[in-house]
Amino acid sequence: MVKQQAAPKFLNLLAIRLPPGGIASIGHRISGVLMFLSIPLFAWLFGLSLESEPGFQQAVAYLHATPFRLLSLALVWSLSHHLLAGVRHLLLDIDVGVTKGSARNSARVVNFGAVLLAAAYAVSLL
Amino acid sequence: MSRAAQGLRAWLLQRFTAVYLAVYLLAVLLVYLTRGDWDYAAWHGWMGEPLMGVATILFSLSVLLHVWVGVRDVLIDYIHAAWLRLMFMAGTALLLLASLLWIARALGLAALASPG
Repeated sequence: MVKQQAAPKFLNLLAIRLPPGGIASIGHRISGVLMFLSIPLFAWLFGLSLESEPGFQQAVAYLHATPFRLLSLALVWSLSHHLLAGVRHLLLDIDVGVTKGSARNSARVVNFGAVLLAAAYAVSLL
Repeated sequence: MSRAAQGLRAWLLQRFTAVYLAVYLLAVLLVYLTRGDWDYAAWHGWMGEPLMGVATILFSLSVLLHVWVGVRDVLIDYIHAAWLRLMFMAGTALLLLASLLWIARALGLAALASPG
């Protein structure tokens, strides 16, 4: 009789090897949550930038400050990944690229594309 | 709407808002990059335009709906205690509504201000 192997019950994040689709998926979540958490900051900055000329200048100064630039880099990655993963999702919905091979490849395009766009943005900041 | 159809409604809502968010973002980015010299008058004038005001309110509303569906899915997956999940969802709603109203206020003021 074949002994059934017990399912591994652990959550060692370093031992988990996600396939490209898995990385695209968890990245979609993480990027979404990051952007969600930044909404109040941007709503406030948007209001500040429109309320008066000094307010506008102050908003521009905040945008150019180093902490904000670091945040903006994370958010550019987030937006890029979320947008690319979202487009991939919509295409899968209408049965485009649903074979295993092409889904794997499109996931790679999403994962590397987002990092590439973020890298380009980082270079533009230098 | 039946309970089963609620899932379909959220699914559809997520996709319709996603398309609008993508189109708005790419269009705004294009205008922003095409016109390099942004000062207060240009920025204020742009956001004060009726079409831009409506498009931006629609964008903010789409963000609110899109985030609500997305965050709800994430909370259902990771927060299993019902009372705690409810707290997080209430916090999310509060944060999103407050942000939406703040943006609507800024756009309204910009639209009302005399040009120049």
